[in-house]
Amino acid sequence: MEEQDRSCEYLSGVSPVWCPGCGYYGILSALVEGLADLKLPTNELALISGIGCSSRLPYFVKAYGFHSIHGRGLPIAQGVKTANPELTVLAVGGDGDGLAIGGGHLPHIARNNVDMTYLLFNNAIYGMTKGQFSPTTVLFPTTKTSPFGFLGDAVNPSALAIVYGASFVARGFSVKKEHLKDLIIQGIQHRGFSFIEVLASCSSFNTTDMNVARIIKNLQMVPEDHNPENGIEAMRLATDKEKINLGVFVRSQRPTLGDRFQEVQKKAKGKASAAMEDLLAQFA
Amino acid sequence: MHPDLTLRIAGESGEGVITIGETLCQIAAREGLHIVTFRTFPAEIKGGACMIQVRLSEKNISYHGERVDFLVCLNQEALGENLPDLKDHGVLLCEAECDLPEELLGRTVYKVPFDRIATREIGSRISKNIVVLGTLSHILSLPKRQIEGFITEKFARKGKAVLDHNLDALQRGFDFAERNLGKKDPYKFPKGNEQKMLLMTGNQAIALGATASGMRYFFGYPITPASEIMEWLAVHLPKLGGIVLQTEDEISAICSVAGASWAGGRSMTSTSGPGLSLMSETIGLLSMAEIPAVIVDSQRGGPSTGMPTKTEQSDLFLALYGSHGDATRVVMAPTSVPDCFRVTALAFDLAEKYQLPVIVLVDQALSARLETVEPRLVKRAPLASRLTAKLREDAPFARYQLGESDVSPVALPGTVGGEHMVTGMEHDEKGNFACDEEMHTAMTVKRFRKLSAIEGDPLTHELCSYFGDKEAEIGIISWGSSAGPVEEAVSIAKNLGIPVQAIIPKILNPLPHQELKTFLGKVKRVIVPELNFVGQLASLLRSTYRIPTISLTKVKGVPLEPTEIVKKIVETAETLNVRSMKHYGRAG
Repeated sequence: MEEQDRSCEYLSGVSPVWCPGCGYYGILSALVEGLADLKLPTNELALISGIGCSSRLPYFVKAYGFHSIHGRGLPIAQGVKTANPELTVLAVGGDGDGLAIGGGHLPHIARNNVDMTYLLFNNAIYGMTKGQFSPTTVLFPTTKTSPFGFLGDAVNPSALAIVYGASFVARGFSVKKEHLKDLIIQGIQHRGFSFIEVLASCSSFNTTDMNVARIIKNLQMVPEDHNPENGIEAMRLATDKEKINLGVFVRSQRPTLGDRFQEVQKKAKGKASAAMEDLLAQFA
Repeated sequence: MHPDLTLRIAGESGEGVITIGETLCQIAAREGLHIVTFRTFPAEIKGGACMIQVRLSEKNISYHGERVDFLVCLNQEALGENLPDLKDHGVLLCEAECDLPEELLGRTVYKVPFDRIATREIGSRISKNIVVLGTLSHILSLPKRQIEGFITEKFARKGKAVLDHNLDALQRGFDFAERNLGKKDPYKFPKGNEQKMLLMTGNQAIALGATASGMRYFFGYPITPASEIMEWLAVHLPKLGGIVLQTEDEISAICSVAGASWAGGRSMTSTSGPGLSLMSETIGLLSMAEIPAVIVDSQRGGPSTGMPTKTEQSDLFLALYGSHGDATRVVMAPTSVPDCFRVTALAFDLAEKYQLPVIVLVDQALSARLETVEPRLVKRAPLASRLTAKLREDAPFARYQLGESDVSPVALPGTVGGEHMVTGMEHDEKGNFACDEEMHTAMTVKRFRKLSAIEGDPLTHELCSYFGDKEAEIGIISWGSSAGPVEEAVSIAKNLGIPVQAIIPKILNPLPHQELKTFLGKVKRVIVPELNFVGQLASLLRSTYRIPTISLTKVKGVPLEPTEIVKKIVETAETLNVRSMKHYGRAG
């Protein structure tokens, strides 16, 4: 007998504000189905976001949600996981939020290996402010703020996450819901910082870069024999000019920030925990 | 017998000047003396002029002293720079190689070849400062055995050879003084009451106050002059099960604080002006989302990079108003090292109880100053905590419930049945975004009502210091570390026959209206001394109470001096025709 679909229990009941045809509906759907598959208690889920269309997602999910400010979802998530390691911490945000205004945080959260999952919704445009270019805009010839073409080249989010040392890096596509759901489950289950780039089309302002037909035509699954500890090969797959590779590029194990905090506490305490009075002794 | 002695040791950074000053402080603290110090930092990493001034007293003191009784100069530059601050009857101890200016004729000067003793007799130039300590211990009748004990504590772990070297240096400095210098001055190390005092810096007192108040999550980014707070906590907080994380910038620091605090931990960051500027947006988020946080700003000369190693009180406007929109926050300002402990600990109680950011303003001079603290003043437990909701199965939790209460209870992440949104957007009671006009008004009122409640809360009572004559017509309102010079100035003015009274509010938002209104009702003139150019507190007082103020400002990177304040008091007294005034002689 097939198990009942419990993904609805992970929806808050607040209706998404996204445009009709927005790729983000597919991501929301993959996320709640993944959470249902993992049977994660909603009270143990912390969902943190920055600002932008994608960052509205926490309102639509039943969880402890934190809709913060532009670009700052990652450090907030780092604080949440630090103070309560029991929580499953997820951060969501867009390409502008995570790679432009908030781009300075990603290397550090990645190298700290905070035990959390970060979904970067990549639609290659600023949708909420209605059509300015983002750090990942490539093909779309002009935008409202680049009317005569681009002034800079685009970045590749997965490639950045790989060089920053994220211990889990994957790329999914909003249209490939089952595959994306599987990536999200793997990301949450991975102990450490999981970075998942999700390609999604903006139906209102950039249907070129994430054109569904083009992506479907060019996509290719990461080969089953790819060794996710091989960073060079991971980089080759992530930056492939011919094909859009989807799947897990990197998976490696190393101590998380939480593990390191525990080590520090152990070293600092030596044989016994100190009390306030012990700290005062050095001032006598 | 001199119950109050002000010493200054000046030299080049790297000569061990600070060690001499700190050793004197350690010994004095164990004797039960009260100490306030002031030190300057060179802008360079290595080299550059530096000095430490130590004031020792049998009585409680709040200021490091304006001109000094006893000056120690280790080189010619230090002598040239510091001699103007030596009192007329003061004593100079200097390197024998120094040329003495004519103005020193007829005054007490001890010359000692510190360099030669260190390099030729001991064979170690770096032991010079210990030679100086030996000489000082003879001239000032310091308890030599205590100095030996202190040097043993300090150098024992570096091995016997190093320790012996330093004990030898101490003895040679002492012997030189005994053989060659006849005691020609009246100064002696004061006697204490033997009640042992603790000795710490303002930064350390802040770190301790936070720890005592249950803070266990610290995120910060290095910045002068606040780094010492993070460095102290990095060593000690993990012993209590806490964590300290150096983040990639101040924005990450305050955002990590926001996350840790939302998850239920008492959290803080410390910074200086440039960092507080970067944190402004997140302060608005903390206000809007109603999340507790404590932010310490150790102010330095600004704007921009300004003067990182110099002191200033020019971040008041930033602390009060920084962040767009109507963003609520509490602003507090301790005045002394024991106060740093007390105010920081209280900042956590207010942040937790009222779910908002609390900014604690200190400055470079207060952060770096060593001061004695009575042990009883650094014992404390949290006095208030976050109100948590009683969750009901039949109704979803409303995080931002509007109602009679000033604060709405929280459900910490992890709590069964408390799932909800917090957000930087304007929101309804459940935390869902809501831009309708009624809701924005209601929620803004909700956030600001907390400030009125704080003003009436017994936790914030007794947050004003008073000095002087309660009947005086001349009033002084000041803040932060300027309180010390103000207290001295009030007592100098009294000796000149000019009655003055002063009030120092240690909470600047919300202002303690009752106390300030009572004070303003009694005085005819209000002088507002502070270390910034535009008179930021004066401006706040003028706009809040619609009163004229006499602003006394200074932007030299150093604290106000009591005589500067006395000058303004005398000018003000002239306009009031204060008759009891006999003469305007130079004070001090």
